[in-house]
Amino acid sequence: MKKRKMYFRMITASLLRRRSRMVIALLAISIGAMILSGLLTIYYDVPRQMRAQFRNYGANMIFTATGDSIIPEDVDKAAALIPSDKLVGMAPYRYDTVRINDRPVMAAATDMKGAEKTSPFWKVDGDWPAQSGEIMVGKNVAETYNLKPGKRVTCTFAPEKEEEKGPAAEAGENQGGTDQAAEATTEEEVVLDNYIDFTVTGILDTGGKEENYVYMNLQDMEELTGKETVYDICELSVSANAKELETIADQITESVDGINARLVKRVTQSETTVLTKLQALVLLVTVIVLALTMICVATTMTAVVAERRKEIGLRKALGASNKSIIAEFMGEGLVLGAVGGLLGSILGFVFAQVVSMNVFNSSITLMPWLVPLTVIASVLVTGLACLIPIRSAVDVDPALVLKGE
Amino acid sequence: MSLLELKNVSKIYGSLHALDHVNIKVEKGEWLAIMGPSGSGKSTMMNIIGALDKATEGEILLDGVDIAKKSASALTDIRRDKIGLIFQQFHLVSYLTAVENVMLAQYYHSVPDEKEALEALDRVGLSERAHHYPSQLSGGEQQRVCVARALINYPEIILADEPTGNLDEANEEIVVELFRKLHEDGTTLIVVTHNPEVAEVAQRTIVLRNGKVDHETINENFTGKIKHITLQ
Amino acid sequence: MFVRMIAKAFLRQWKKMLLIAFTIALGSSLATAMLSVMMDVGDKINQELKAYGANIKVVPKDTSVLNELYDVGGENITGAYLKEDELGKIKTIFWAFNIVDYTPFITAEASLDNGDKVDVTGTWFNHHMDLPTGEALDAGVASLRSWWEIKDGDWIDEQAEDSSSLAMVGAALAEKEKISVGDTIHVTGSQGENDLKVAGIFDAGGEEDDLIYVTVDTAQALGGLDGKIDSIEVLALTTPDNELAEKAAKDPGSLSVSQYETWYCTAYVSSICYQIEEVITDSVASAVRQVADSEGQILEKTQLLMILITILSMIGAALGICNLVTASVMERSQEIGLMKAIGAHNRSITGLILTEIMCTAVIGGVLGFFAGMGFAQIVGHSVFNSAISMRPMVIPVVAVLVAIVTLIGCIPAIRMLLNLRPTEVLHGR
Repeated sequence: MKKRKMYFRMITASLLRRRSRMVIALLAISIGAMILSGLLTIYYDVPRQMRAQFRNYGANMIFTATGDSIIPEDVDKAAALIPSDKLVGMAPYRYDTVRINDRPVMAAATDMKGAEKTSPFWKVDGDWPAQSGEIMVGKNVAETYNLKPGKRVTCTFAPEKEEEKGPAAEAGENQGGTDQAAEATTEEEVVLDNYIDFTVTGILDTGGKEENYVYMNLQDMEELTGKETVYDICELSVSANAKELETIADQITESVDGINARLVKRVTQSETTVLTKLQALVLLVTVIVLALTMICVATTMTAVVAERRKEIGLRKALGASNKSIIAEFMGEGLVLGAVGGLLGSILGFVFAQVVSMNVFNSSITLMPWLVPLTVIASVLVTGLACLIPIRSAVDVDPALVLKGE
Repeated sequence: MSLLELKNVSKIYGSLHALDHVNIKVEKGEWLAIMGPSGSGKSTMMNIIGALDKATEGEILLDGVDIAKKSASALTDIRRDKIGLIFQQFHLVSYLTAVENVMLAQYYHSVPDEKEALEALDRVGLSERAHHYPSQLSGGEQQRVCVARALINYPEIILADEPTGNLDEANEEIVVELFRKLHEDGTTLIVVTHNPEVAEVAQRTIVLRNGKVDHETINENFTGKIKHITLQ
Repeated sequence: MFVRMIAKAFLRQWKKMLLIAFTIALGSSLATAMLSVMMDVGDKINQELKAYGANIKVVPKDTSVLNELYDVGGENITGAYLKEDELGKIKTIFWAFNIVDYTPFITAEASLDNGDKVDVTGTWFNHHMDLPTGEALDAGVASLRSWWEIKDGDWIDEQAEDSSSLAMVGAALAEKEKISVGDTIHVTGSQGENDLKVAGIFDAGGEEDDLIYVTVDTAQALGGLDGKIDSIEVLALTTPDNELAEKAAKDPGSLSVSQYETWYCTAYVSSICYQIEEVITDSVASAVRQVADSEGQILEKTQLLMILITILSMIGAALGICNLVTASVMERSQEIGLMKAIGAHNRSITGLILTEIMCTAVIGGVLGFFAGMGFAQIVGHSVFNSAISMRPMVIPVVAVLVAIVTLIGCIPAIRMLLNLRPTEVLHGR
């Protein structure tokens, strides 16, 4: 028992009283551990964080109607099936043809707050409509009618009397959802037309078909058409990987009768491709950086231990067996490794947090298991790094070490 | 039976015969000095007797056991159990206190005992400096710690390599006085030195030259006290 | 004597010097690899983002406003088309090198034997072009629609002899009309008819699932639209937009001459659009925001991420080197104490140590640089299946970094040495 006490006394003495060298060793180990834990945290968090970025590509799931149209209750029911932390945004759309200056224009009504989330790539010159009576017009529509933000525009709609004019107008949906035939009004009905005076708040630039539409709030559409709100399509942006998305979609299609949930292949597939590459990149970089850092730690430890050849020689001269010398130095190394690892994992988390805040503007999830992992890894690396120089020092003839410089 | 007996011991480095068929006997309780000019083989002899190095040929009987052919780890055990070493450069572990340095020898030998270590320091007159670090001690004090460290395990032989080489006269006297006390207690002392004053105190002096025993002198009027040749 | 001392130091302490050189080599290889990957990651991710398809759409000037807006009739009322023979010009614009892929579309109305109306779209699948520059390009929907899932059969190979009588059918249409691979479908267009053999059935997860895709010639023959093209989708590698690009996108005329130059010579999506409009008669090229904008965002984030990781690893490497240099210099305190004792000035000791370490650093740095290029290529090949292009800029950056880091690494050690009192060292601390 006494012997063990002396063992610890020696180790603590060596650690505490050889301060400058120990600081060097500790610093080296902490850096290694910091890089290990920092990079691993980033590696595990990148898909989550990047997925949020990929939501820029817009909706990756759409609800289409199994029947004519989707009723709002069904959408609520379906939305409840999606974990709320994964649902980035949801925007139901309703399409109808209205008239501006007696010419037909496809009008879309949606929840503007949701649309802003599901279509973050929409570039709005001006503002999104916030309240009823406000409208956002596509770039092409704006050009045709010479509209600018702040200008007023009157949309008319002939209720009940509409006739099908020509084949179904093209499905007004950029992701290619099917929607039912949009109505076109007839020219004869003038007197009975509903109309609303809108203020243009913004011009929409998407580079797609949306530039040919006008966007208004759902209540305005209800008022204008005089028809109760039903949806043609509902766009959702869900932050999940392809597999999870598929499960969610299947579940919704199965359990909600009026809704057929589909994935937007272009978005989901491509996201998987790119994310896989990205994660592979970070992984490989992590591995290389780690390998190099660990070697760096090892060389520093080697230098620190090599310095003590003389002391090793003395201990041998005093009758210490190789085993007990290795045990003592390893003991020191392990304590250093553990302390450095602990310190490093804290620093690493701080680093990962800084990266995350800077790159993704969101905080990182703490992975508690990374702490023991980092500590174990740094203990192992330190132990190994100490072992090599100690072994070679232990094999040296004590007489030579003590005599020579 | 002699405590230590070297029979035809040679140590050859390449073409250099550091020791050339040396025969020495050391009796238990004897105080022996080994002298010689630089390069005469003193250090080689000291390393071989101290089980720090192996002879190229010959027999080394310690307590009747031939240690010449023992393995490195067996030699370690012999150093630990039978020999106390004192070096010219002291060789104290810098980050351990005086008493801890003494305990280090106990630690490798058997069980560290702080009380005993303090007593050993008391014997060399350093009890009040026990908790100082080597850097806070003077050369003489450091060497006294080394003496305490060497005697703590009651070794069969205390082997001192130029123990006073780095010390002034006053400290030299203190160390020699310590040796005298050890001798009185019955410890076998082998002191390697090139200082005639230190050598003369011993009971017997062996002078080496070119790796061979040149001659031997016996100190007829041995007192164990150092006689300084004072220059006027 | 100075040189001799340094030479001796190397000879005698070659093991320690080797350790320092090795660590510096590690640091320098890390810096090289990370910098190379970081600088190239934009291009690489850009390549990967090709998966999202075209980011520029080119349509005839008139339809861009009228046709799509009055898309009430089934026919192309205005009859505005792009010219097929101008397609090659897209690869001649200033940023031709950034045009990775493009494909034309021409849609003809047709009907099946049972009277059902279908849209038959002619496009490129894997159209092979030999460019005037001597390069070759395989362009078409096979790469621009990478998300299409081929449910059965395969893509049309344009190089095949019978490619003009092959068709690819959307999954929705195939299900409705009970068409399967190998079937022959008879389509009648306004100006011609054709027997098409179904080469593949695809699931695009969108409105394309209701279409039949054929080669450009086949579709043109059906609709009597020889040499005409509806639209072109272009995939270009672009630089994320900044203020200048946004200003230019609104009206290139509002820029000053130098701004215009900058804008024109930067691969903004707007300047590439502008240049396409210059070569294709009566065309409007616009950015597909969904792709173009998101791409910019993701690129930016990835690059920022890589930069930060690079900085971290640089700090790691720097501290590692500093540490080792400090440790190895401290080890020599005795030697330096002696030098001081025999009258060496601080300056000469500093000079000696610095020269030694710097010599080591040069050797280590150069070796590390080459090792780092190797690491960068490993990353390139295993992640992106293509080499990381080496930027000459990396060399000076790494050189300066290694030099600075090594110097900084010497500072604590040298300060310690200068404060060293020779007596302490020589008398066993």
